[in-house]
Amino acid sequence: MIRFEKLALNNGLKVIIHNDPSTTIVAFNLLYNVGSRDESINKTGFAHLFEHLMFEGSINIPSYDKPLQNVGGENNAFTSNDITNYYITLPKQNIERAFWLESDRMLGLDFSTKKLEIQKNVVIEEFKQRYLNQPYGDAFLMLRALAYKVHPYQWPTIGKDISHIQNANLADVKDFFLHHYAPNNAILCIAGNVTANEMRPLAEKWFGNIPRRKISQRNLPAEPEQKKARTQTELRNVPFNAIYKAFHMSSKLENEYYTTDLISDLLANGKSSRLYQNLVKDKKMFSEINAYITGDIDPGLFVITGKLMNLTSMDEAEEAIDIELQHIIGGDISDYEIEKVKNKFESVYQFSQLSALNKAMSLSYFELLGDADLINHEIEKYRSISKENITQLASKLFKLENSSTLYYLSKK
Amino acid sequence: MDFNRIQQPQFKNIEEINIPIPKQIKLDNGIETFIINAGTQEVLKIDLQFNAGSWYQEKPLIASTVNEMLTEGTKSLTSQQIAEKLDYYGAFINPQPTKDYGNISLYTLSKYLPETIKILEDVVKFPTFPEDELSTFLAKRKQNFEIELEKVNNIARREFNEQIFSSNHPYGKKANIVDYDNITPGEIIQFHKNFYNADNCKIILSGKVDDSVISILNQHFGNNKWNNNSKFVDTKYKIPSRIKKLSIVEKEDVTQSAIRLGKVTINRDHSDYHNLNIVNTILGGYFGSRLMKNIREDKGYTYGINSVLVSLKNAGYFVILSEVGSNVAKEALSDIITEIKKLREETISQEELNLVKNYMLGDILRSFDGAFEIASSFKQIIELGLDMSYFQKEIDAIRSIRPQEVKDIANKYLHEDTLATTVAGKYN
Repeated sequence: MIRFEKLALNNGLKVIIHNDPSTTIVAFNLLYNVGSRDESINKTGFAHLFEHLMFEGSINIPSYDKPLQNVGGENNAFTSNDITNYYITLPKQNIERAFWLESDRMLGLDFSTKKLEIQKNVVIEEFKQRYLNQPYGDAFLMLRALAYKVHPYQWPTIGKDISHIQNANLADVKDFFLHHYAPNNAILCIAGNVTANEMRPLAEKWFGNIPRRKISQRNLPAEPEQKKARTQTELRNVPFNAIYKAFHMSSKLENEYYTTDLISDLLANGKSSRLYQNLVKDKKMFSEINAYITGDIDPGLFVITGKLMNLTSMDEAEEAIDIELQHIIGGDISDYEIEKVKNKFESVYQFSQLSALNKAMSLSYFELLGDADLINHEIEKYRSISKENITQLASKLFKLENSSTLYYLSKK
Repeated sequence: MDFNRIQQPQFKNIEEINIPIPKQIKLDNGIETFIINAGTQEVLKIDLQFNAGSWYQEKPLIASTVNEMLTEGTKSLTSQQIAEKLDYYGAFINPQPTKDYGNISLYTLSKYLPETIKILEDVVKFPTFPEDELSTFLAKRKQNFEIELEKVNNIARREFNEQIFSSNHPYGKKANIVDYDNITPGEIIQFHKNFYNADNCKIILSGKVDDSVISILNQHFGNNKWNNNSKFVDTKYKIPSRIKKLSIVEKEDVTQSAIRLGKVTINRDHSDYHNLNIVNTILGGYFGSRLMKNIREDKGYTYGINSVLVSLKNAGYFVILSEVGSNVAKEALSDIITEIKKLREETISQEELNLVKNYMLGDILRSFDGAFEIASSFKQIIELGLDMSYFQKEIDAIRSIRPQEVKDIANKYLHEDTLATTVAGKYN
């Protein structure tokens, strides 16, 4: 059980405080309710590019990093399809510095063309380092675009194309800030040896007088039901063939989400899982195979990826995967096996609670979903899933017409 | 505005850092065991360390194959049974082969320790390395190896290690694709026999540890001199005094080139190490470092650049690493050299040095926050057999270093003319 207190400031900022007396470090996590799904189709990669600019100085403070490093603090951030999350860890005695820095960049940024140009270059190098200059690095970019035709999940956080980043200008950037960065679009969580009584006055002082802003209404087009199987074949300079499959699944807020996650665990969580034991160890058809859910807030994807052993043909590989999915649909699952994946979820959950920063991130995220207390109900949600839930859902999920498959073939 | 946002809030220097010192005990059979009892959650981690790294192997890949195949079948359990049990208890056994050590760690919920430690005992003492498991493992690894060879970062790492240590030295020798076809079960079994035994083992136990946990550990790993037929041979190798200054491995169709610059240098057991570590942090050891500021934040040549000091058991090395736009590799290299020169020729400002000191002290606080963090911080100190006051000395060094010493250390250890350079990809 993770206990916490919630405060709401008049300007709409939500503040969560979690007391963890076992740590000397405080985690300060600020989540903005904006991600790459909020970008327009011609200006993708923007939420992430903007995250970079958040470190380039704010209206009253020329350098973000220095004053933090100077008090023993460390920080970073990440952008996903759904959120942009900034975090700091620092010694408790200097916690006010986190309030000072984060509130100032919520108030306003010190934009300049030069800073923008440099961060555009940095992000383009990141694009290359993570995706374009890696074997198989562009596969997921293509799989998204195959699976989604309407919803913005069709492009990745890094952006659809390098040119979108190259073309970003200062007016776009300022516009993005005013429409998405505001106290009424953010959740702050502080976790560590701190109490709500200590934090409230600091939150009021530093964030309390930042005005509300008018946030862009999120009005995302729903992805229409897929009616026909989609496939795409690409030839690349890689040593071995690979297969990538995606099935549309539910949103994070539906009960089906948890069942779908458990199905991915049955298939691929741990070395005892079905795909690994049957297709890697027994049949020796793949050198590696994985199944997971994308974990998005809007309806996401159930993904299967595998690298084929040299002697396996693509047809054999695909058929072998299909047989495994049919076994799930057919209910060829023991109670023991279901118990096993539930145990594993519970264990991983417990290990994840060791760090104050992890807890701060989770609390902020669940608050975004509706209530930070959801964090305390995760285990029971997984525990309550029955075999019938699994087979029923699997027969809907793994329909051929719900699938998008990318055949990623070696030129060699 | 009713208050001044330009003025930074008061801060306090980090005065007190409480470094928890692991408690040292010996199991009944003499195995040195280090205990870190911390945290509030009912979880445990057991690290077993064997002097069984690639340093000791007679052929490439033997040491890592042994380490990673411990869980692939024992006298009483098949590979699948091991995997089933671990997953059922939500436990993890992670092998971690390095150049010097064969490490294997168990992460478990405390309530399942009696069951999961049995599995750990079994895989460490009685692995059988079944032939079919071995051939599946090697075929899989061989394919992964080929994929890794497509990555410029990996190409540069292999080339750089050979450059500074030479191909005759265990730290420099590269594995090749054909090596995957030349491993026999006999060699694997023999290596395990020689190196995985009680006399060649150290243990770190961390998490919520009480007497009953220690007694269970003793029951499984302390009751006799298990596997004792140690044929421990520790050969010494020479590190070349002349190295190839520049090595370029061309790769077509790349958008980034991986670069490395570095040299063999002192490791943690040397009295200058703490100061060199501070100098390394200034240069490339944190986000605000000089290399990050220049190569990333001023030029936009890269997503990231850093410099690292690596302490191996028989040598240490210093390396700067980055992946940069393939059209700016030359410019990036020249800027890196400029930064090193600056460090040698100009005296650092007290302001910058203070910032680095404060950052490093905060980092030490972070690295001792939690039982598993404490365990991993002490891991290398224990491996190298260093004094437990190591981190206290580090704190003292950080607090006392002066600008002139930074310059002296840079001149003594980091002269740009002594560095080897590796580029993988394109070099314009």
